[in-house]
Amino acid sequence: MNLLALHKRIERNSGLLIFGILVVSSIGGLVQIVPSIFQDSLSTPAEQLAPYTPLQLLGRDVYIRESCSSCHSQQIRPLLAEVRRYGPYSRAEEFVYDRPFLWGSKRTGPDLHRIGGKYTDDWHRVHMRNPRDVVPESIMPAYPWLAQSAADRDGSITRRLGALQRLGHPYSDEEIAAAPGAVDGKTELDALIAYLQSLGRTRTREEGL
Amino acid sequence: MADMPSDFWGGWIVVLTVTTLIALGWLVANVYFGPDDAEEIAAHTWDETLKEGTTPAPMWWFWLIFSTMIVSVVYLILYPGLGKFAGVLHWSQGHEIESSAAHYDERFGAERERIAAADVAVLRSDAAAMRAARSVFMVHCAACHGADAGGQAGLFPDLRDGEWQWGGDAAAVQQTIAGGRRAVMPPWQSALGDDGVEAVAGYVVALSAGRGDAPEHAEAGARFQALCSACHGPAGAGNALLGAPALNDDVWLYGGGRDQIARTIAGGRSGEMPAFGARLDATQIRLLTAWLAAREETATAAAR
Repeated sequence: MNLLALHKRIERNSGLLIFGILVVSSIGGLVQIVPSIFQDSLSTPAEQLAPYTPLQLLGRDVYIRESCSSCHSQQIRPLLAEVRRYGPYSRAEEFVYDRPFLWGSKRTGPDLHRIGGKYTDDWHRVHMRNPRDVVPESIMPAYPWLAQSAADRDGSITRRLGALQRLGHPYSDEEIAAAPGAVDGKTELDALIAYLQSLGRTRTREEGL
Repeated sequence: MADMPSDFWGGWIVVLTVTTLIALGWLVANVYFGPDDAEEIAAHTWDETLKEGTTPAPMWWFWLIFSTMIVSVVYLILYPGLGKFAGVLHWSQGHEIESSAAHYDERFGAERERIAAADVAVLRSDAAAMRAARSVFMVHCAACHGADAGGQAGLFPDLRDGEWQWGGDAAAVQQTIAGGRRAVMPPWQSALGDDGVEAVAGYVVALSAGRGDAPEHAEAGARFQALCSACHGPAGAGNALLGAPALNDDVWLYGGGRDQIARTIAGGRSGEMPAFGARLDATQIRLLTAWLAAREETATAAAR
């Protein structure tokens, strides 16, 4: 085919031009994104992975609201130095119940993917009230208000769980009905700590890298 | 792409990628080496005087495009990219980290095994090992116990003072690090009542000062023997097997003032040391044990 003839036709027919642009710019997505939608390893949860409890879910929302992922990543890359420091590298199967995932892209503070169980709840309480009390050189902001506000202030926990249930997270109707009772009287700090303590506990060093 | 969902999607990627590459090649080749259309292009005039020029982009521009295309073809041959084709090099992130871990073991494995089996007293005087131990402590322990292992926040114990709630010999310290500990002091408010809590607190303060046998504490002392001695021992010397701290000294985790002791008795305490057995290996735990022993020695020497 003559290139010039083709060029002429495309340039004089804006509908054809738009169609051509759409075709060309979609190729990257068709190659990279579309097949991954059908890739089971990205949607099959890790063996011990449970969906977030109502309290952990509220804590996750606090984590998002306070923008923790601006300074903390949740992905341990498959590099020996990171694995030696933080634990086994992160795998897709561990983030199946994360919508959206909070991998982050910047580490002002340390990675948090395997933070669950590393510190006690008491430590987190002191640390959130004022990080300098336990880590003198820390530049993390203090979050004292979390201890004062109720975890489920707007009473939306059943709706939040319902939305996830519709997306296929294995919550039963009974669990959702029991959720308001489970988070009653809890503060945002309780919720955040419950979330942090749940992070990355599906793999340990004994299971290898 | 070891786990492509199916042959179909593997083929989908191959077809799209290769077709795009060929189409690009055809486009570039045509622009530079296609039939000369200068006359036809130049014949068009827009807006009365505007004409399209025919000067081609310089050849270095072509070579630039051409070389990026060569690189992408070589990449797709060497590395995984075309559907299920693993690439000639069989490179994968998984292999990459496994081989670097194997290299690490080869390089340091013997030394690590030596440290894991070494005597704590020997490690303590090994400067290089102690530097490594300090960095392990900084990453994993300092957030609670403080950078100097001196404890902090009235919650996390001083590790230099020679007082070991769960035992201070190497085996006990290693067990504490690997398995964690959970200490539970139950609340005694309902059993003792306000007056009882005050009285026993007074007795414990006296015990700490070595005056537990003073006659004014006789009654509170009897209650101590009835309620507290099972864990803390009849003389208040503590019991490392239960994690019950000694009360007959002046080392206090939650504060040694009379009010603080009264609060501890009334409300109970629960201290937790998380288990690090899954985070640290035997070598690191051995290093930490030796480093802590050295801290203890330094602090004791300084106190003298």
